[in-house]
Amino acid sequence: MLIDNKKGWISWFNPIKYGMDRWLFALHRLTGIFIGLYLIAHIFETSNILKGPLTWNNLMVFLDWPFGVHLGPYILSILLLAVVFHGFNGLRLTIVENGLMLTKPYRPDYPYEPKSLKGWNLGLKILTAILMIVIGIIGIVYIFTGVLL
Amino acid sequence: MRESKIMFLQYLTGLLILVFGGLHFLALSFLTPSPDKQLYVYQSATNHTLVGGALYYNYVLDIYKNLAWAAVFELFLTVVTFHAFNGFRIILSEQFSGPTASKVISYSMLIIGLIVFIWGTRTILLAFLG
Repeated sequence: MLIDNKKGWISWFNPIKYGMDRWLFALHRLTGIFIGLYLIAHIFETSNILKGPLTWNNLMVFLDWPFGVHLGPYILSILLLAVVFHGFNGLRLTIVENGLMLTKPYRPDYPYEPKSLKGWNLGLKILTAILMIVIGIIGIVYIFTGVLL
Repeated sequence: MRESKIMFLQYLTGLLILVFGGLHFLALSFLTPSPDKQLYVYQSATNHTLVGGALYYNYVLDIYKNLAWAAVFELFLTVVTFHAFNGFRIILSEQFSGPTASKVISYSMLIIGLIVFIWGTRTILLAFLG
């Protein structure tokens, strides 16, 4: 256990011996860091509203067309996907980490299959995945076309 | 504060962020005061002068000047700042263990979080009152 901890954040990406939950954990952390850093930038970016229409509008155009390249929708889409994943996976974690939608405690017998990761828990994963895809598509369609499905 | 209580607040703010985050998205889409329900409306395909859309200065300011939206943004800022900086604290504490590291990380996150919160509150207040 101590050796595992020594690996630090690199161990988030160790797929050996670990299943889907490990990947969800790693992605939750990565998206959390990304969104958190975006939040800091966003708070300082939006304070430009106090500098008047010229500064604000020019900044908005720059964020949509940074250095003359139309990257804005792609950057927003990556942010949206990160937010949607972190949000719905966080909702799932809130449910299961508080002991809901898990199997009753049972005696661990060989071959020690984790029953807690099946049944309702698996159903919850599938449901959150569907919600992520639906909301993700709605958001990306809106970003690129302005059409709200 | 006990770690279990902080974790409870992390779950609670997470749920509130889903609500306020959804409202934030609606403020820039379905509920924008802009007649064009899209983020950017340019002069033309080749002239990238912003003339409308949800992110146009006048429409963004209209949202800030609405008391209900200003309150939603302030509440959103409060819960999201706590959630984000407590999240950073948890991640960093797991990487750098020990009581000294824990204190340094906790106070650093508290100070940076407060700066972000105060700066955001300043924007919301001045835009609302100005």
